[in-house]
Amino acid sequence: MRIPYFPGCTLYARARGLDNSTRAALAALGIELAELPQWTCCGTVFPLAQDNYIGMVAAARILANAAKAGDGRLVTVCSFCYHVLKRVNYAVKNNQEAKDKLNNYLEESYAGETRIVHPLELIRDEIGFASLQSKAGGKLRGLKAACYYGCMLVRPAAELAFGDPDNPTIMEEMVDALGGEPVDFSWKTKCCGSYQLLNASDLVVERVRDILSAAAARGAQAIVTSCPLCQFNLDWVQEKFVPKTNGFSKIPVLYFTQLLGAALELPADNLGLDQHYVDPRPLLSGGCS
Amino acid sequence: MATNLSFQMSKEISGRIREISGQNPYLCIQCGTCSASCTGIGKMDFLPRQVIRKIQLGDPGVLQCRSIWVCTACLTCTARCPRGIDIARLMEALRTINLRKGNEILVLEKISLDLIKEIPQMALTSGFRKLSA
Repeated sequence: MRIPYFPGCTLYARARGLDNSTRAALAALGIELAELPQWTCCGTVFPLAQDNYIGMVAAARILANAAKAGDGRLVTVCSFCYHVLKRVNYAVKNNQEAKDKLNNYLEESYAGETRIVHPLELIRDEIGFASLQSKAGGKLRGLKAACYYGCMLVRPAAELAFGDPDNPTIMEEMVDALGGEPVDFSWKTKCCGSYQLLNASDLVVERVRDILSAAAARGAQAIVTSCPLCQFNLDWVQEKFVPKTNGFSKIPVLYFTQLLGAALELPADNLGLDQHYVDPRPLLSGGCS
Repeated sequence: MATNLSFQMSKEISGRIREISGQNPYLCIQCGTCSASCTGIGKMDFLPRQVIRKIQLGDPGVLQCRSIWVCTACLTCTARCPRGIDIARLMEALRTINLRKGNEILVLEKISLDLIKEIPQMALTSGFRKLSA
């Protein structure tokens, strides 16, 4: 199965490991991701000002180009990309003014045909967690994982439709199928502070500390996410700011695709496990074969 | 907070907030669910509920409060508002009015070189789109 794929800007730079592990893990499950021949950054944030159509143009162009690929679907894994592409597509479909204005910019007649799909949805709907379990079940040997969705993947629920906006479970279902143990984690849809690292970094440090403490209190050995910015904030802040003196031990922050790749016994070189601040390799070498 | 009822926000500004956000701030019943859910509340000078109250009262000072710049646009308030107000859009309207006048909060020189070298590209793009003119 070959499906059009939009990596996004960060996956071509800082989050190379997310891109590589996504492609490798899905390939091992029989899904080939075909990168769009031309793409730009999606814009990273959905414009919340009603009159800001220019902020939607980049995403609309990506969607219109994806429609030409003929599959009807477009896979993207970064939470920000997923959020922006899905919301801009929703606007084109449901808001005539947005549709007209964006098409005037693009000189296209795009009507919202592209369906944005997250790899977790692909695994659930195209492969099935039962089938995943038969391929790699038990490989995580009870590794305790806190599944962290953050904000962009789940809200607003009416547009994102990624499960319950306060309690999504799709990532836990994947961890469970691989033989890991998803911990009960009530901070899973809290925001990590996001881009405020640039403006109010102490806010991000506080939120990260809350999230890590909650995960640690549940016995999590790893935090699993889909967002390059959540991954960075949770990982880098531990390295830089979380004091080493208060009994806190570091928790590796992995992409769900890295965990999946490890469970599928893919070569570690493909997974980008060496690109983290808190090294996840000792855990994975002990936690899965 | 002490409330001064003599505020007079120009009709132009209050109209613009409603136009840019597409939201009706008078639906707010001041329940505080947004404040209780907020990511950035620890660094805010006014709670999200109070920001909306300032809009309702026509306090022009709402455009100067720190809260609008530490909002992370995580949409938790929007998801939980029992009155269905998209509060994140009201926050964005307040930022947008500032940014369109050139009042920005994030400038490149303020960011440490160490951080720029490490931070994911998406953070720079989103930070500048939200916080700089």
